[in-house]
Amino acid sequence: MTGYSTKPRTSLNRFARTTCLKAHIERPSIHVLGLLLCAMVGTTSLFPPSEAQAIPAFARKYAVTCTTCHTAPPRLNTFGERFLENGYQLPGTEDGGSIGKKNLGDISLDDVSHYLGVRLRGNVLRNDRFKQQSPAGTEPGIVENKSELGFPEVFSLFTAGTLSKNIGFFVELESNLKEGVTGVERAFLTFDNLIGQDLIHIRVGRLDPSAASSFSTLRQHMDTIGESINPSSDVVQRAGLLPLATAGKFYGLRDRSGTVMSPYTPALYNGVAETGIEIRGRPFGEWFLYQLGVLNGAHEGSGDTNKGKDLYGAIRFDYVRSSHFSASMTGFAYIGNSNAMVFDGTNNANVNWNRYGIAGHARYKMVDLYGMYTMDHIGHLPSAVSATFDKTASGLSIAADAYVTNQTLLSLRYDHMDAGGERTQRASQSFVGAQIKHYLRTNVAVYARGDANVRKAEDGNTAARNLRNAVFVGIDVAY
Amino acid sequence: MYQRSIALLFIVMLTTETALPVGAEKPEGHRQTQERGRHIYEQACLWCHGTEGRGDGPAGWAIGRYTAPRPRDFVSEGFKFRSTPSGELPSDHDLFRTVTRGIPGVMPSFGSLTEQERWEVITYIKTFNPAFKETPPIPLNIPIPSVPASEASVAQGRAIYLQFGCQGCHGENGTGDGAVHRAGELRDEHGLRIAPTDLTSRASFKNGSDLRDIYRTLMTGLDGTPMPSYAANFEGNEDNVWHVVNYLLSLSPGPSQ
Repeated sequence: MTGYSTKPRTSLNRFARTTCLKAHIERPSIHVLGLLLCAMVGTTSLFPPSEAQAIPAFARKYAVTCTTCHTAPPRLNTFGERFLENGYQLPGTEDGGSIGKKNLGDISLDDVSHYLGVRLRGNVLRNDRFKQQSPAGTEPGIVENKSELGFPEVFSLFTAGTLSKNIGFFVELESNLKEGVTGVERAFLTFDNLIGQDLIHIRVGRLDPSAASSFSTLRQHMDTIGESINPSSDVVQRAGLLPLATAGKFYGLRDRSGTVMSPYTPALYNGVAETGIEIRGRPFGEWFLYQLGVLNGAHEGSGDTNKGKDLYGAIRFDYVRSSHFSASMTGFAYIGNSNAMVFDGTNNANVNWNRYGIAGHARYKMVDLYGMYTMDHIGHLPSAVSATFDKTASGLSIAADAYVTNQTLLSLRYDHMDAGGERTQRASQSFVGAQIKHYLRTNVAVYARGDANVRKAEDGNTAARNLRNAVFVGIDVAY
Repeated sequence: MYQRSIALLFIVMLTTETALPVGAEKPEGHRQTQERGRHIYEQACLWCHGTEGRGDGPAGWAIGRYTAPRPRDFVSEGFKFRSTPSGELPSDHDLFRTVTRGIPGVMPSFGSLTEQERWEVITYIKTFNPAFKETPPIPLNIPIPSVPASEASVAQGRAIYLQFGCQGCHGENGTGDGAVHRAGELRDEHGLRIAPTDLTSRASFKNGSDLRDIYRTLMTGLDGTPMPSYAANFEGNEDNVWHVVNYLLSLSPGPSQ
């Protein structure tokens, strides 16, 4: 296990561990939490109960329900996708400078309620069945059951909207009380409809590259469950539950600071957020989207030495016409430039961590199918570790959401990962999950979820096998 | 003379439906206009209404899911928001009003499109239904309110409200919890469950919430929903319409009263 970071891990949070986006606020301070609480209370007091039954900022601004843009929050329908692409303006319009605005001298402002949205979510009960090893991977271990009560721990404060018809913004502040992480999740400006309608949109800041993809990392109904780490050895004890196609996939791969990265965290094109600039548009109509971006590099928060910039590009084909049907296909490539390191026995050597992927979605009435296959490759791998470090990895995620009643959403997901990296740890793994989510109101849901390790019978002393199954009960509220 | 002109202008504004949010001149429905309208439609409208205007756009189903409403089928269905008699097609100005204002809770306002653009898209929408080529129906002429909103008028309006059985859907006090609704018997033209408007929340009035809007809704109904036209019931008793209007507005005091 040489090479694993000995830095204490205070968090199991995927965002914190992978991207270190909260670099400047690594631990929750009383002040920040107090500020958040004040913001929450303040935000709540802005909306009388009748309005609070409705939904976040954009729904308030346009006086529509959230299902105008979402099949079920957070997943977007095609109208919502185009609203997002258009810089938070209605598709086909440039209403950012007019709708909901008050002109005060030479500035125009929205009501605060049109800017702010809040989401509170998390598990109130979880039960894991897993094999406990101490230390991980070194003994047969015993299978245990563990139940844990909790409080919905993830609080997100969104502020987003338009400054004018060509300029929009988005900031997401997240506090994960359980994981002990608070900070800015995403923050970017958008410059929209430059030159002509839908020809060029630019995003600058800490952005999520997969936002316009057929498979958006951040719009999953089955939320990410972080992996378990042995706090003393920093070794992954048991697998995380997330769309494995989005995950890092490599055991023993290090970020630019030399810290070993978790294989269970969204990364590269599917990362939660990286700082950079992106350009996209639909120059030929609704059927085609292009996307090009430059980022500081994966896991910049852990120490971007500005060795090189990462590039990504994607094209997306859409079918959106009628019959309550839509479909899309996205192909993407993420080219890393010294964006990771591998320990060659003596030093940490720069490598290029690349990803190629294809994603698709098909939606008919109440059924939403989507999936993604990704293939990761490590370039410039030191020859000293070529026998012990697998430089390729792949992941597959297939998911389906369906309203089985007007208020009940059933979600299913299959995940598979052929992990790469240190051969002593890497193992192929497959999980299936099912979740039933009941919307008490459009913006208030309770859910029950179960995940099972398809390959637990293979046993073995790896993180991929240690988790047998897990059950979660939680809530998801947005207002 | 000056005062008389102002009064005349006021009367014209109140009695002419076209005085609603319309400024730009309606363009001729020639091919170029339709083509521009098609372009706007495909960027802004097809997501819900579909490429052929059948209300089956890829995002439309999500709005109501297993309940009403579904996006308007421009081809074969009746239209809810009209100033024309029940069963008739809407006037151009009705369409313009809906595009401009949107429908609270369901369809956003597209008032950010220029008036020219809104007329263009309406020109295109009308191509979906050949009946629009026929002689347009005569819209309702909404008179000047003849009854001030006094306590007596509100009381009389409530009496009429109860007499016509409005409470069956909208509830005793207009909160939208009538017995028929609670029994799950209210359905739209698709057989989907539909909820009556909560008359105590003016923001939820889908066909608008000012005096004239409510008058129009009472007199023309909302086709395709359980809300009928009460034009026949009020015939010869125009004042009664205003009594009901006054009562309904009294349930949700607001700036537009």
